[in-house]
Amino acid sequence: MRVPIAWLREYVELLDDSQTIADRLAMLGFPVEHIEERPQITGVVVGRIVELDKHPNADRLQVGKIDVGTGSLLTIATAATNVAAGQTIPVALIGAKLPHITIERRKMRGLESEGMMVSAEELALPPEWFEDGIMQLDADLPLGTDVVEHFRLSDDVLDVEITSNRVDAMSMIGLARELAAAGGAPLRLPSFDNPGTALDAPGVAPRVTIASADCTRFVTQRFDGLRVGPAPAWMRIRLALAGQRPINNVVDISNYVMLETGQPLHFYDDAGVRDRHLIVRDARDGEKLTTLDDVTHTLTPLALVIADEDGALGLAGLKGGKTSEVSPSTTSILLESANFNGARIRRMSAKLGFRTDASSRHEKSPAASLTSIGAARAATLLTAIGAHAYAPHDFGEPLEPAAPIHFPLRDIRRLLGFDQSADRTRRHLESLGFGVTPLDGDAFSVVPPPWRRDVKHRADVVEEVARMAGYENVPTVIPTIAPHEIDGGEYHLEQRVAASLASLGYNEIITYSMVGADSFAKLRLGNVDRQTEAIEIRNPLSEDQRYLRIMLLPSFLAHIARVDRPLRIFEIAHVFTHANDYIDETQQVTFALAVEPGEEHAWHDPHFLRLKGDCEVLIRELTGRTPETVQDSRPVLHPGKMAAMMLDNQEIAVFGRVDPRIEHAYDLRLRVYVGRMLFNRIPPYIAPRYNPPSKFPSTYRDLALLVDLDITAAQVEQTVATAIGEFCVGVRVFDEYRGPGIDADSKSIAVRATLQRYDATITDDETDDLIARAIAALHNDLGARIRA
Amino acid sequence: MSELTGKLDELRGRFDAALTAASDDRALEEARIAYLGRSGEVTLLRRSIGQLPAGERPGAGKIINDVVEAMEAALEEARTRLQLRAFDEDLAQRIDVTFPSVAPMRGSIHPIRRVLEDICTFFERHGFAVVVGPEIEPDYYNFDALNIPPEHPAREGFDSFYITDTLLLRPHTSPMQVRTMQQHRPPVAIIAPGRCYRRDAVDARHSFMFHQCEGLLVGEQVHFGHLKGMLTGMCRALFGPDQSVRFRPSYFPFTEPSAEVDTTCPTCHNIGGPCRMCGGSGWIELGGAGMVHPNVLHEMNYDPDVYSGWAFGFGLERMAIVRYDIDDIRRFFENDPDFLAQFA
Ligand SMILES: [Zn+2]
Repeated sequence: MRVPIAWLREYVELLDDSQTIADRLAMLGFPVEHIEERPQITGVVVGRIVELDKHPNADRLQVGKIDVGTGSLLTIATAATNVAAGQTIPVALIGAKLPHITIERRKMRGLESEGMMVSAEELALPPEWFEDGIMQLDADLPLGTDVVEHFRLSDDVLDVEITSNRVDAMSMIGLARELAAAGGAPLRLPSFDNPGTALDAPGVAPRVTIASADCTRFVTQRFDGLRVGPAPAWMRIRLALAGQRPINNVVDISNYVMLETGQPLHFYDDAGVRDRHLIVRDARDGEKLTTLDDVTHTLTPLALVIADEDGALGLAGLKGGKTSEVSPSTTSILLESANFNGARIRRMSAKLGFRTDASSRHEKSPAASLTSIGAARAATLLTAIGAHAYAPHDFGEPLEPAAPIHFPLRDIRRLLGFDQSADRTRRHLESLGFGVTPLDGDAFSVVPPPWRRDVKHRADVVEEVARMAGYENVPTVIPTIAPHEIDGGEYHLEQRVAASLASLGYNEIITYSMVGADSFAKLRLGNVDRQTEAIEIRNPLSEDQRYLRIMLLPSFLAHIARVDRPLRIFEIAHVFTHANDYIDETQQVTFALAVEPGEEHAWHDPHFLRLKGDCEVLIRELTGRTPETVQDSRPVLHPGKMAAMMLDNQEIAVFGRVDPRIEHAYDLRLRVYVGRMLFNRIPPYIAPRYNPPSKFPSTYRDLALLVDLDITAAQVEQTVATAIGEFCVGVRVFDEYRGPGIDADSKSIAVRATLQRYDATITDDETDDLIARAIAALHNDLGARIRA
Repeated sequence: MSELTGKLDELRGRFDAALTAASDDRALEEARIAYLGRSGEVTLLRRSIGQLPAGERPGAGKIINDVVEAMEAALEEARTRLQLRAFDEDLAQRIDVTFPSVAPMRGSIHPIRRVLEDICTFFERHGFAVVVGPEIEPDYYNFDALNIPPEHPAREGFDSFYITDTLLLRPHTSPMQVRTMQQHRPPVAIIAPGRCYRRDAVDARHSFMFHQCEGLLVGEQVHFGHLKGMLTGMCRALFGPDQSVRFRPSYFPFTEPSAEVDTTCPTCHNIGGPCRMCGGSGWIELGGAGMVHPNVLHEMNYDPDVYSGWAFGFGLERMAIVRYDIDDIRRFFENDPDFLAQFA
């Protein structure tokens, strides 16, 4: 909200500079987004055009004799066309400093000009909001008055952010009250007495029928004898500084009162309301209403309207209608100062797709008591411009005083951590308008002021106490926390996974959780089944973010395609799928190698083995155990280059090369190997048991075998280990060969068996004997032959 | 006898010459084998003693032994000399230490996790547990239980992604407050980090996906000052030992009193001026915090007259931006290898 400091000064004395005022507001909970610095203008005074003549030497200039209260008249030429004798205007004297010029004595077409007649623009006001030409001031201003000082045109304007609970502070009085309370300064409020006469107005009195529970209160009042025209200069200037365009005195008064008190108002042309009978009701389905901005709305019962017997006149709390608009010839008007259910106004505003200054207040449910204050201020201001005010009429719920809050003073210590005296607390609360009655047992009975609807609870009172004491007085204390049993294990598992993968050379990435429908097709997951399994977002920001990921792979592939460099990456994130009647959301880790493509044997893939090694290390790090790798087949992975890792016959990870058709779909030049592990599949860590080393030396034998192509390394190792028995301390296949010199249906495998005894040095004879057994078993079980 | 002595002298002369000429251990070893080895010249001479008259044998043996002893000493001396020369040569070597290192293959932890780790480590040291939870949450956990009933104006601040009428991607980590309090009686001391989502258009300061870190402490005698204390500690752990923390009044439906939390700008050291990080204010906004609203405690069946607590919810991206002086929130999700490598 734009808050001219000049306007605040109407209600509270402010001696500090703008920055200090802004800081004070921030420390009260009203951060100032921006301080608009006003230019420092001097030497402009109120003057009256006594005479006006054509310039003797220039058709387009006029020359005025201006009285600025000094006894002698100034001769000033102007090119403006809106000037006339008798007008009261701002006059820049010789030496005056305006935003872009300093006024000097100069000749205009041979005639000496002793100053300048000033327009709104030269006073740094928006020119399009004021009269075209010289600004018009009110005739009752004493001549010679310093214009800048009088209207406080050099006071800065603050852009203040107001939290949604403090609609009471969406007003100049509201903010002035806060500054007054915090600074210990008195608050000077205008009179809230309504000058409306109790006399019967001619004709029927205005009345309101409230046919909706969403209107809590409605004050109406009739004014006549009105002459629609420009509002007084002081009001137009304040409105302009506050960012509100001046329109005419009636509209300006409604805006002025809204900005001053926070109560939105609306005026109806008395002739536009049948029988002066206003009805607050739900709109009828299909009911049409043209608002002041010439937009015709077709309404539904969701809309709340103010109507007369003939139909809707306006959208409640949002915008008035065309048929009862105040026109230049209007002389009699009806006031609406109403209070609505904020939620209803918000819903209606959202549905109709626009907000107004009025609705932004109504939707936050301001206090109902403001309706009478708003009416009183409007009546005072209308009376001041010559209108006659008749009696206000209140409709709706009677104003209930707020319920007292029992406030034990120990809550200050208990919740804020500091102490302050009961007197000080009472003074602070009272300065904000709270009623405070001390009770027995160190407690207050606190009655919130009628404009504060946000204070309902003891804790709310505590906040007021803290605000007034200053949040900077909250102490800085490290608490001692009693033991509890909340488990942080899941987070630690995640941290261990991340640390392990980083130590293996993988870089952690964070990618978005959403993907588009096309990713399912690119991943060859089919369109229908997989997508129905995927969770759809109803209101995505874009089509390529419509689904939550069922796996991280699409994000990885898109990233690798973009970077197009060999990479090692990992991400820990949730994946989402529909499972029967609930959503399955699981934390998982995906890690990938992207490598330059190269010529490889069809039966050998070093990158796969690299990834396998990383998987083993990771799983061992997390579980304390070494997993078993088994051949497997899954979507998205290469059918011949993927495997699962098992512990206790439970799969805990899947890894392999990405299906080359998917790589192609993502325009990948690089080959991608990817592993994935679901966190809820990771068994608890079991500390490995220590095996003391044998004191006796070990020995080994290497065997070169010829086996059928379908025999696996694991089978060879298993067979050798079983055949050798307890003295076998290690078996490892270390080479494979296929090609020239070997039958096409066979492959050569080299395996090393390491043997050792714990009780003695194993002899060559023993070793030879056990190896012979292994060879026999390899032959019998796997059909292996020793290669010559 | 003199014949033997003469032979030995001649042999000794050749041996010494060989030692002098030797430039490495291998040459010394060759000399040893040639003279003192199993079939070396001195060994052969010693065998020839048997052919001498019996009376001369002990004298000849002694002469040979003395010579052998002297030769072995000379050999040892030569070894030492060579060793010292080798040390000298080694120590005379000079390399260019500024030559680029051989880089180990090393991965990296994302800066968001680095910040999170330091926050969690600080809070865990003080007795907090780190808890994690789902990203899809019912509106009850996101709003209702947090004193934001339907139609509450504050719901507008959470422009969320909806899955169904009542299920949404969490716009903040506060649902973990509710989940934890439902499962545990006080004291409750948790940090709850995780991904959150809001329908914000992406720019240098906004992302529709971001990370929040929630903190909650509920117990007896827990007050606002404890919040300031812990957040000051946290900021010192993240940004340096001179950090301080400022509270400004604010409004959140789930806390009362509520505060916006600022910390001194570590870039300009709270001086302000033309500082890109803080815009000249000298302060960095961290996020919202406050004393848990009695309505929230009540909803969790915690007696607000007995228990009190505080909560905060900060954006991790913001903290990482300030800590590492990162210019744009999108960097965190672009995962540029050169960006990530700087956090290895
Ligand atoms: Zn700074």
